[in-house]
Amino acid sequence: MAATTKYKNRIEILQGTLDMLILQAIERQPMHGYAIAQRIRSRSGEVLTVETGFLYPALHRLERQKWVKSQWKLTESKQRAKFYQLTALGKRQLTADHQRWLELVRAIGSVMQPEVQP
Amino acid sequence: MTPSPWDRAKQSLSEELEAHLKLAIAERIANGEDPSHARAAALRELGNVPLVQDVTRERWGWSWLENLLHDARYALRQLRRSPAFTATALLTLAFGIGANLGVFQLLYAVILAQLPVPHPQELVRVHAARSPFDQGWQVSYPAYQRLRAATPDVPLMATAYVQNVSIELANHASIEASSRLVSGNYFSGLGVAPAAGRLFVLADERIGQDVWPVVLRYEFARNTFDSAQQAVGQHLLINGRAFLVIGVARRGFFGDITGFAPDTWMPLALQSTDAFAVPWDSLGPGHDVSLDKPWYNQPTIFWLELTARIPPQRRAAVLAHWDQAFRNDREVMTEATADPSAKAALLRVTTAAVPLSDNGMRKRFTAPLTLLMALSASIFLVGCLNLANLQLARLHARAHELSVRMALGASSGRLIRQIVLEDALLVAGGSVSALVLGRAASGILIRWASNRNGLFTLDLHPNLPLAALGAGLMLLSLLCFSILPVVFFIRSGVAQTAGSRAKVAGISQTARQRWRSNALLGAQVSLSLLLSTMSACFTATLVHWETVNVGMDREHVLIVHPDFHQPRYTKHADMLPELYSRIQQRLQALPGVRSAAVEMCGGIHCGWITALYAQGRSDLTDTQVHGQEDHVGLGFFSTVGIPFLRGRDFTSSDNDSTQRVAILSRSYARQLFGDADPIGQWVGYEPAPNDRKFLIVGEVADARVNGARREPPPMVYMSINQNPAPINSIRVRAVGDPSQLSESVRQALHQVDPALPVGEIVPLATELNGDLGTETLLARLAGIYSSLTLLLVGIGFYGVMSSRAVRRKAEFGIRLALGATRGHIHRLIVGQTARILLAGMLPGALLSIFAVRAASHVLYGSVTANSFAIVVASLVLASAGSLATFIPARRAAQADPLEALRIE
Repeated sequence: MAATTKYKNRIEILQGTLDMLILQAIERQPMHGYAIAQRIRSRSGEVLTVETGFLYPALHRLERQKWVKSQWKLTESKQRAKFYQLTALGKRQLTADHQRWLELVRAIGSVMQPEVQP
Repeated sequence: MTPSPWDRAKQSLSEELEAHLKLAIAERIANGEDPSHARAAALRELGNVPLVQDVTRERWGWSWLENLLHDARYALRQLRRSPAFTATALLTLAFGIGANLGVFQLLYAVILAQLPVPHPQELVRVHAARSPFDQGWQVSYPAYQRLRAATPDVPLMATAYVQNVSIELANHASIEASSRLVSGNYFSGLGVAPAAGRLFVLADERIGQDVWPVVLRYEFARNTFDSAQQAVGQHLLINGRAFLVIGVARRGFFGDITGFAPDTWMPLALQSTDAFAVPWDSLGPGHDVSLDKPWYNQPTIFWLELTARIPPQRRAAVLAHWDQAFRNDREVMTEATADPSAKAALLRVTTAAVPLSDNGMRKRFTAPLTLLMALSASIFLVGCLNLANLQLARLHARAHELSVRMALGASSGRLIRQIVLEDALLVAGGSVSALVLGRAASGILIRWASNRNGLFTLDLHPNLPLAALGAGLMLLSLLCFSILPVVFFIRSGVAQTAGSRAKVAGISQTARQRWRSNALLGAQVSLSLLLSTMSACFTATLVHWETVNVGMDREHVLIVHPDFHQPRYTKHADMLPELYSRIQQRLQALPGVRSAAVEMCGGIHCGWITALYAQGRSDLTDTQVHGQEDHVGLGFFSTVGIPFLRGRDFTSSDNDSTQRVAILSRSYARQLFGDADPIGQWVGYEPAPNDRKFLIVGEVADARVNGARREPPPMVYMSINQNPAPINSIRVRAVGDPSQLSESVRQALHQVDPALPVGEIVPLATELNGDLGTETLLARLAGIYSSLTLLLVGIGFYGVMSSRAVRRKAEFGIRLALGATRGHIHRLIVGQTARILLAGMLPGALLSIFAVRAASHVLYGSVTANSFAIVVASLVLASAGSLATFIPARRAAQADPLEALRIE
């Protein structure tokens, strides 16, 4: 199946967070696949890279789950591309995912905090 | 062709990835990278495009379907590449499954099916008393009324047989139809709903209607009037009486008698019109019986069969009630016999309720059909074993290809799936043909099983159990010949010994695999021996009954069926002897005719039961008194070939004005007079003082007039000239083949009396064999099965031995080079076949002995005599096996030692 090549200098996207990152990327405006990958990379300060081998399967799965919908449109450079747009269902999912993520970060954070000696 | 949604989606995905690539390149160039460098980097970043596409498509959730379609296309290609295997498999499956479906359909209709009415288990036949002569369970109309009145809340239905009727429609040729007379509560009591119109009500029982009501069977209505709705309201003439179709019974209702589906149901009251022939029994001559008056008020004519719907918990109470009501009728019935013990036995009988399933059809066919089902299962198994063996050989041939594919990374699951799918396609194809074949087979089987004069009518619509059996057999065959062999094969790792073809071909056939295919062949041999033995036994039985000495000249006699039941003959019976004499003379003048004679009986098994009391012998029991009676014309005995033992034949001087005479058969004479000479003795229909009516003038040999399979009955023959009445058959004895005479006989009869309708003309042998339905069915089907299994065994041996010979070609070459003769090689291969044959025959013989024992009551002859068939079957099987091995063995012995050494 999909062979995964590991890049040691990059941080692996945490399992289950890719959906959230994609939904977040297109929250404001519809975007095509390439732009989504670029946006996640630039916003993460070049730390997170989404491989096409993960991006497109994820996009198509999200579309099947009706969290995003797609449309062929022209980009600013007059290139035809498929734009993905968040649906109402996707918006609700994003909020829920974000909420859970914050809780997770807080929880991990407090676990990792050095214990204060009394 | 417009692209499918699937193709469009695929197209759209590749465009999407292409756009991604272009955007990436454009951005890299915009950032100042060199175009060619930008393209390479973007491509690298994009990764393996087909893989991305594959993974993405998997997200659509249809990829299994795509794989399946892909595999199916591959499977079809593979099947087309091996047409011999495909054809063998298709035919084997079609026949194996079809035979089972066909026989099961019959088995279900005859043995398992219940009446399609609510609570069929509540329905019973009511057996009150056996009628004096025919020993049936018929009662009189007054008795029926009494029983019905005794329990008004229990539906008690009466039915009566009636001979086939002739229906005339406006602008239509007349149709012959089967019919049954029924009481007004028949349909309501059974719980049958109409498909159209209404069914009988009590008012329909009224005597003397101008236009009679008739109810049709669904299929009959549809065949005659196109639809049930259109049939209702039609006016018809049945046997010359006016009828109105008031309704059609629901679809699937075939009447209450298994195997006999009336086309029409008519009210009982029709008997009084005298236009319908209804079988009857009575107390015999001398009692108060007037057949030509209506029967509804005569307590001594027994003609009604009773069926009731009683819930099981009420059964005992209701039957006790009826016993009371029937007591008087039982006493009336004792008048028919002079035997005190028979009288006492009659009075001791109590009314009984017998389940509908307890019928003659079921009794007659349960054993043969169960046997046939077992044989059909065996042929199915033989077929599966054969295919499993072919499959193994085929897999060996493909071992190289499979091993290469596995080495290239194909998963064994996918390989198994592909091969099984290939076979599933075969099974599906085979099953479709099997359905068609099974359907046709049931029809043919019914025809074989039926008596010549009465085709069984059974409900052969597909039903749930049949569908379940079909699906089960499909799965079983797939498991047997595909899944198991393939899994074994892939697991055994043969395919994994990738690499040189020589290795795969030469060494890989391990002892275990050889043992496996030998075992399969051996099992086939066992089952084939069983089938061949049974076939030989059934054929021997059929041949025995077809050639048994019937005491008549079965090969040269023709039976002509004229119809004298017309007013112009029945109203002037005294003119008939003269007409009969003219017919006889005209026929005897025909070239090729030795003699001709008339007879009251129409065919086999038609003489009526009678009782004769011998003068001076008051000690005779009922069994001694009872016999069968027939009225015959002059020259009857010499025409049918029944030899005289003593005394004389009827002569033209035995007529209405002379002493009544009778001729006894050997067994009747012995019953009445022991070993004493019967000539000159007196007999009568009643005990003394009325036992001096007929003078015995002759004694003839016994003849099997009831059919070849039945013992010759005790017969008394009277002269038709002393009892002028319509006859039902004319017998013609030919010098050569009797069937050649039919046309000239028909013409001669037309010349004598142009108004006389002449029906069927058949040779006596055909008429006699027409009664051998069960035997014919078993012999023909078992014959087909055994020839098929012989063929399969032949194919099996040929296939296995030739693939072995090819595989061991090099070895044989070396053996030859080292000094073995061709004879050695030949013996080596034939020896293998012989060992397998022997190993299969021993269990097969045991199996056959059990089967012969189990089937002994449908076979003629002792178990020991029939077991001899095993020897015959073994010989046939052995020669089939050897013959099939002969060609591969010869080919192996022709191996060229030089070529073999070169290959090494």
